[in-house]
Amino acid sequence: MRYRSQSIAYWYFAIAMCLFGLQLVFGLLSASKYLGPDPLLDFLPFDKTKAIHTNLLIVWVLTGFMGATYYVVPEESRSEIYSVKLAYIQLVAWTLMGVTAIVGYMFGWTAGNKMLEQPFPLKIVIVIVMLMFLYNILMTIKRAGRWTVTEGVLVAGLALAAVLYLPALIEYENYTVSIFYRWWTIHLWVEGVWEMIQGGLLAYLLIRLSGADREVMEKWLYVIVGLVFMAGILGTAHHYYWVGVPHYWLPIGGFFSALEPVALLGMAMYAYFAMRRAGFSHPNSLAVHWTIGSTVFTVFGAGLLGFAHTWPSVNKWTHGTLITAMHGHGAFYGAYAMTVLAIISYTLPHLTSDRKVEGNSIGYWAFWMQVMGMFGMTLSFGTAGIGQVYLERILGLGYLDTQLKLQVHFLMLIATASVFAIGAALFIWNFFRTAPKSVAAIDPSASAPDLAPAGHASSAGSG
Amino acid sequence: MTKRQGRLFFIICTLVSAIAFIGLTFDSHRRFPGLTNEDKLTPEIIRGKDVWHNSNCINCHTLLGEGGYYAPDLTKVTQQRGTPYLTAFLKDPSQFYSEEKHRRLMPNPKLSDTEISEVIAFLDWVGHIDNQGWPPRPIIVSGTTIPGTDVGQPPTHASVSTDPVAQGEALFRSSPPACNACHSIAPGVNLAGPTLAGLATRATAIVASPEYKGEAKTSADYIRESITHPSVYLVPGAMYSANNQSFMPDNFATDLEPRQIDSLVAYLETLK
Ligand code: HEM
Ligand SMILES: [Fe+2]
Repeated sequence: MRYRSQSIAYWYFAIAMCLFGLQLVFGLLSASKYLGPDPLLDFLPFDKTKAIHTNLLIVWVLTGFMGATYYVVPEESRSEIYSVKLAYIQLVAWTLMGVTAIVGYMFGWTAGNKMLEQPFPLKIVIVIVMLMFLYNILMTIKRAGRWTVTEGVLVAGLALAAVLYLPALIEYENYTVSIFYRWWTIHLWVEGVWEMIQGGLLAYLLIRLSGADREVMEKWLYVIVGLVFMAGILGTAHHYYWVGVPHYWLPIGGFFSALEPVALLGMAMYAYFAMRRAGFSHPNSLAVHWTIGSTVFTVFGAGLLGFAHTWPSVNKWTHGTLITAMHGHGAFYGAYAMTVLAIISYTLPHLTSDRKVEGNSIGYWAFWMQVMGMFGMTLSFGTAGIGQVYLERILGLGYLDTQLKLQVHFLMLIATASVFAIGAALFIWNFFRTAPKSVAAIDPSASAPDLAPAGHASSAGSG
Repeated sequence: MTKRQGRLFFIICTLVSAIAFIGLTFDSHRRFPGLTNEDKLTPEIIRGKDVWHNSNCINCHTLLGEGGYYAPDLTKVTQQRGTPYLTAFLKDPSQFYSEEKHRRLMPNPKLSDTEISEVIAFLDWVGHIDNQGWPPRPIIVSGTTIPGTDVGQPPTHASVSTDPVAQGEALFRSSPPACNACHSIAPGVNLAGPTLAGLATRATAIVASPEYKGEAKTSADYIRESITHPSVYLVPGAMYSANNQSFMPDNFATDLEPRQIDSLVAYLETLK
């Protein structure tokens, strides 16, 4: 770590870890309600636990992205962050917003629009916080007078994420129109600009972890983001099936969203070939696990499981069933949760004291238990979903009776979710195990054992 | 390939897709009013949408297939359940379903009478959106049509037969009217409506009984009357009616063609 202001990242990551833990509490609560009966029915019914679960996910992942940006930008632009104070004010405002939202949901204060449940005043706070963040980052880059493609893609992704949140501020009288624009936010986030963020962070990690040539890596980064947008923008149409929009969205959605996995596969190959050239020799092999793991799990959860139900003639039967939950979990975890956990794993030896770069066995347990647990969860949702499609949608059994027949899958879900939660708890414990480095103790001249970029005497500094 | 070519690829892909997407968005806006019957979007329905949002319904239910996956899809619910039924249900869901049996129960949404009628109006408006015919087969809230009876048989298509009984049977399972969303034909399996097993036999007994005050003289008359005027004779049970009004929708007299009603009667008469 070269720049003192990079230590801002620690506090963003710390908040992200707390919210991640809380997310899982509400996830497990929701899963137990699938099994039922629900002793909390009158105080904390499923709709509340589920809204809190998904909102916490979005908030902690974004917290992680912002923390990662505060870590990456100083290195790439070779400058301290423009205003450290603003970064901390931003974090406090953001955290207060998140906590208020959760408490609000518990007491029924909600806008009740899936994943955009934040009541209007909180949406405004979100916009203000995003503006503070972007201002701080852009001023840093401006002052440094230097930027790289890697950080450019990362910051552009975050800026576009803020822009795409704006349609969520508008009230639509027509429910179909409201659905139409809800996906401008949610889909164009996760299958568009968040993939830019993922790509930028991945490029950063790969350059650091493999010593791959920056020119080559950034060239392919452009290609990958190009592929993401080529398929992902028109791929929005896979959310426009059966919701009251013109019929031509059906073939468009089928065709373009079926292409989306190509970009994701591209990302995994990008990571694999970069690492293979370096012989996987970086000492922080835990970070290598998370980095490669996230691209592989993205191909599985987003690419494969998304592809599984993206064709209109399939989606006609699976739409609105647990098949969607299967894919949602695999995709969000692989692409975004794991990316944040990868960047945390990479930066943690720099941000905290008394920590070996190689990581410890708890770190590996955390990795494998989460990956296996999440794999099991997608299997549970998937098998439940297939059962549901068959019994409810094809044979015409009642919804409630079908759900009763899926009890065994819900048991499986709770079992695998528990494995996952233990893995996550280990990760969180490992994170907080040692104290953050005090800013005074940061030695700008000490260089971490990153691999030297192949063929280049020096590049944008090492962490 | 050079980095510049990579960048060019990125810019072209993004621009072309974004322009196409925005163009189609403009076109969609031209078509939304027709597809969603915007002319019927009254202030009451819009308030109903607010009730839907404020009560966070979407985090358990799905509507147009979007939402939580914890409770039934409500896209076509007003075509399967009449307003009196839905009103009574929303006042107190625990009267209709039991947590012991289904392991889940809807919490009481605590809505006022106005809010209830608004949200029902909203759901009814959603149910008439042109959404490419989804769901392909009716999604039923509860009840089982046991394997070995009619589950899994391909739906009979009315066009393959001119026999009114076959046509009636097909219609019984089609949506609309989705009779089978509320009525099973298996003995003892009561859904939102009573089972129709043995209907013709029961109908004969009802028209002959002193409690019956309607006009029907034969079992066929009675069945016809039950379809067109469900409240003339009320099947006993708080699940089926309130305030002398049946929970069965009363729109069939106008929404079905006389020929369709004839074929339904012909089919139901065979359930002896
Ligand atoms: C990182 C990438 C992705 C993430 C985070 C993600 C996440 C999600 C989530 C959370 C949902 C559920 C939305 C809801 O319940 O309303 C969803 C729905 C869906 N996703 Fe993805 N997804 C990703 C990529 C993909 C890809 C690449 C495809 C296609 C190949 C895809 C196809 C679908 C489809 C078809 C649905 C709609 C299911 C339905 O409502 O019928 N997704 N996605
Ligand atoms: Fe999507």
